[in-house]
Amino acid sequence: MNVFIREMKANRKALILWSIGVFLMIASSMGKYAGLSASGQSVTDLMAQMPQSLKAIMGMGTFDLSTVSGYYGVLFIYLAMIAAIHATLLGASIISKEERDKTSEFLFVKPISRSKIITLKLIAALVNLLILNLVTLVSSILLVQNYSQGEGIIGDITRLMLGMFILQLIFLFIGTALAGVSKQPKTAQSYATGILLFTLMLSFAIDLNERITVLKYLTPFKYFEAKNLMDTRGFEPVYLILSGLIIAVLIKVTYIFYEKRDLNV
Amino acid sequence: MSVIEINHLTKYYGKERGIIDINFDVEEKEIFGFIGPNGAGKSTTLRTLLGLIYPTSGSAKLFGKDCIKYGPELKREIGYLPSEVFYYDKMKVIDLLNYSASFYKKDCSKRIKDLAGIMDLNLNKKIDDLSFGNKKKVGIVQGLLHEPKLIILDEPTSGLDPLMQQRFFELLQEENRKGATILFSSHILGEVQRMCDRVAIIKEGKIIQLDKISALQESNYKKIKVQTSGSLDQNYFNIRGVSNLEVKQHIVSFLFRGNINSIMKKISETDIANLWVEEPDLEEIFLHFYEKES
Repeated sequence: MNVFIREMKANRKALILWSIGVFLMIASSMGKYAGLSASGQSVTDLMAQMPQSLKAIMGMGTFDLSTVSGYYGVLFIYLAMIAAIHATLLGASIISKEERDKTSEFLFVKPISRSKIITLKLIAALVNLLILNLVTLVSSILLVQNYSQGEGIIGDITRLMLGMFILQLIFLFIGTALAGVSKQPKTAQSYATGILLFTLMLSFAIDLNERITVLKYLTPFKYFEAKNLMDTRGFEPVYLILSGLIIAVLIKVTYIFYEKRDLNV
Repeated sequence: MSVIEINHLTKYYGKERGIIDINFDVEEKEIFGFIGPNGAGKSTTLRTLLGLIYPTSGSAKLFGKDCIKYGPELKREIGYLPSEVFYYDKMKVIDLLNYSASFYKKDCSKRIKDLAGIMDLNLNKKIDDLSFGNKKKVGIVQGLLHEPKLIILDEPTSGLDPLMQQRFFELLQEENRKGATILFSSHILGEVQRMCDRVAIIKEGKIIQLDKISALQESNYKKIKVQTSGSLDQNYFNIRGVSNLEVKQHIVSFLFRGNINSIMKKISETDIANLWVEEPDLEEIFLHFYEKES
């Protein structure tokens, strides 16, 4: 329990900053939407003329930017990206920080097993993810409702946030697994960020090039896409199962390697 | 009962040597010194005992139980002071100590105050703001606050001023009187000589000598200096048992270990002007061990 409280305190400031960041992101984007919707038809025309590849890179895809749900669908990609970066960095650092800050000779000589320490740290990380997710959910609902003009968006947003939470979990455990395996505490974060960028780029590349659609299983960003989640298709079982498997394997890797290896002291 | 039993403990970091076939026991209520130069394997041995790293082969038992398998349980009774102390920067000293205490199922608040008083440590400062020596004091209080039965110290005095070293040693002796077993590593011989009952000397990963401090000092080691009246062959005294041989004009000095008669005979066969025979201090014996065999 003490390790959990310590981690919550240690991550408090960062979590507040990330939450403010997410809120500002949504607020400023929705401010832009106000301007956009005021200009009416011209935006839709403009978008129609925009090349498909540019739209793919901006994450706009097939969304109708003149409706608030379409606009939010585009925004979601950026929110998911922010949440994924947060989760990755948190996962890698929460495990490797004791070695990085050379506090392992303090913590690991206490009467507590390594696996228990990992468990408490993971719980703290999960609570952090959940808080960021809820902040995103609540600010989205509050800010988007202003512009929704009767369009029912709460259900859509909630579904998107659920998808985002699974995405957060995957990236959190990518971070912890790398930190568990890596003997050099500083490398875990850079590798984890590398994987994050790669999967993100891959998801854009798939939008640009239909021939590599099959690679969509390699990038979690494709598992929970706004256009599917807001569509009638909802959550696809294949992606849920895949996510569950990935998370289970990554958790196992985190524990096994971290318990078996020499600590970097 | 042996509090620490180390059996054929070996640790390689990849291909790099850590320690090789270390064997020794530390008895209950003993103060055991572990000396050797930097990189000899002192910290490796201590960290293996604490389960921070795992042995390549061999094993160690603490209080009769395997130190890896029963690690978490055994650590209730162990206090450890690492050679370099690092803590969570943003915490105050008292927060860190309370955090440390929270791992042990007992109330340590009075003990924290007492120890901080003895070590002259300000509990309300932030750890970032502390000097190296003061961080070390935090480490000392942190290592002793749960009244451990086994105290493991890795180069405990580095960074402490002489007054604090003195208080720290008194504190350790007090803990020892109350029943604590102490294992401490050092490369400073004075403190080992002053504190310890027995000492193991480690060099390049291997234990090369294990003895009582008194035995080490007495064991027929003599520091001999001879002033001869005439000139003398450089190698005249280079016989079995002689080490650290130095010849400066008419003065020959060396360490001797062995049958005292043989060296006395050798001395008597030459014309001497003066003769000094002294007990060597540990430092000199130690240097002798450390010189690479050429």
